[in-house]
Amino acid sequence: MDRHRGVVRWTVRACALVAWALAALGTAVGPALAHGGSLGRAARDSLSVPAWLIVATGGAAVGASFLLASFGTDRAFVAGLHGPRRYLRLPGRRWLSRLAGGLGVVVLAVVVVAGFLGSTDPLSNGAIVIVWVGWWAGFTMSTYLVGNAWPALNPFRAVARALPSPDRRYRWRWGAWPAAAGLLALVWLEVVGPLAEEPRTLAVTVLAYGVVTVAGALVYGPDQWFGTVDPVSRVLRMYGRVAPLESTGDGLALRFPGGGLTADVLDGRDDAAFVVTLLWATTYDGLVTTPLWRKVARVVVNGGVPPVAVYPAALVAGAGVFWGLYLLAARLARRTAPTYVDVATLVRRFAPPLLAVAAGYHLAHFLGYFVALLPPLALAVTTPLATVEPAVVVLPGWFGTVAVAGVLVGHVLAVLAAHATAFEVFPGRMQAIRSQYPFVAVMVLYTVVSLWIVTRPEVAPPYL
Amino acid sequence: MSDNHAEHGPTDPPPPDSYEVPPEGAAETCPDCGRPFHDAELVALHRGLAHEAVLDDEARERVAAAREVESRRLRLFRLKAIAALVVLYFGLLMVYAVVT
Ligand SMILES: [Zn+2]
Repeated sequence: MDRHRGVVRWTVRACALVAWALAALGTAVGPALAHGGSLGRAARDSLSVPAWLIVATGGAAVGASFLLASFGTDRAFVAGLHGPRRYLRLPGRRWLSRLAGGLGVVVLAVVVVAGFLGSTDPLSNGAIVIVWVGWWAGFTMSTYLVGNAWPALNPFRAVARALPSPDRRYRWRWGAWPAAAGLLALVWLEVVGPLAEEPRTLAVTVLAYGVVTVAGALVYGPDQWFGTVDPVSRVLRMYGRVAPLESTGDGLALRFPGGGLTADVLDGRDDAAFVVTLLWATTYDGLVTTPLWRKVARVVVNGGVPPVAVYPAALVAGAGVFWGLYLLAARLARRTAPTYVDVATLVRRFAPPLLAVAAGYHLAHFLGYFVALLPPLALAVTTPLATVEPAVVVLPGWFGTVAVAGVLVGHVLAVLAAHATAFEVFPGRMQAIRSQYPFVAVMVLYTVVSLWIVTRPEVAPPYL
Repeated sequence: MSDNHAEHGPTDPPPPDSYEVPPEGAAETCPDCGRPFHDAELVALHRGLAHEAVLDDEARERVAAAREVESRRLRLFRLKAIAALVVLYFGLLMVYAVVT
């Protein structure tokens, strides 16, 4: 009974804290959002608040959320925020998963056929629209807003499962580093290659990725391959950690959004590096469309660097900078806390909260794109080979607010998740708060960079 | 939002082999599990969370004292946090008033 009363008390406190945090954030961010209402990519010129002020307000809001989190130092309450709240049983799980796999294969077939035979106009080509609007924008959003259904839908997994498996399976020994490199390679291909304009190239790329993936799954076994090596499965699984739903052995686990970020789920340093790489990848995607990048790239190319080298060099260098900053924060946290817990453990435990930041940035980047291109998507799904000029939804001006809000909510969620993690790792409450100083500093820096990118006018990347 | 009697909750200290101690040794170690800490107060807080069931009366008193000291520091930190929030909020409000 005592326990039950305790739960009620925590729930009341949780509601009070959330209400308070929202009110405080609302007062801090409200003016920025109200003025930034006209922040839609098209209407950016009519902005009444200068971009630097929006960026500064965002950084301040993340700092403020850290200060507010220091009022939630109740261990049982903090612990109650994460962990599954409830399990839902799914009837006929095996059949559902088979069905989903079959659906995935059908969609893959449509993408390949439409890629080779469909219209060459990107917006009326089924392959382009299904892959970019339906899958990379829409489906990815569902992985962090709802839950990751990719293991069930993944057509390559379904194909690998249907093929006869070889007698001998190899062990994968390189951890998540190749997946991080593979993610960078895919991002490079997406930014530099004409994957979003030329359906034939996209179809060839999907096929090539499919051959490598299915072969890898046969050699290393599907669980090892999709669990460790395949960068796409890993990205979607990582985003799934942010979501309120997760498929477990006991059924569907329901938890607070972001509640899955406090668990000790990463395997090691390589896994943490993958998380930071993902965060950088979402940033890079937006960075190359800013006017500053155009200027910098011009200067560098005029200085004698071949244009082909500029994009991959910046991609790898940026990943290194993000990883270095994060490592530095983990090192400093040992001193600010103070604690003898080793860097490797800190790096592993405090990386998952960054996934909320990556998800927020993905939402900022793709929600508008997804909604605007819903009519072409509907057309592509119903008649993938038709050559009709599809309509596009014109987004209202206030829609740009969603981008700013996405970045902010992601960062606030990350600060709160890191706070809860610190309470698990450290025995002292002040120690837990102090351990977060360097991480919060890095987080404010990431916010400022992300918001700065989101508030830039979008220009075509040069030399492509 | 008081937390005077709220320190008792699940905790998950990293396994003993995930600590890195400088060559000259740790300042303090937990007598129950050997985990290293920077000061006696942290050892007491750790023991109160991780080994509560096996503590004797003297150790319990030390835990209570450490929690008391920590609560005082936390209150001070929160006062500073409120001051910082107020400065941040009104500072931004003023900037907005000037700029827009
Ligand atoms: Zn101990």
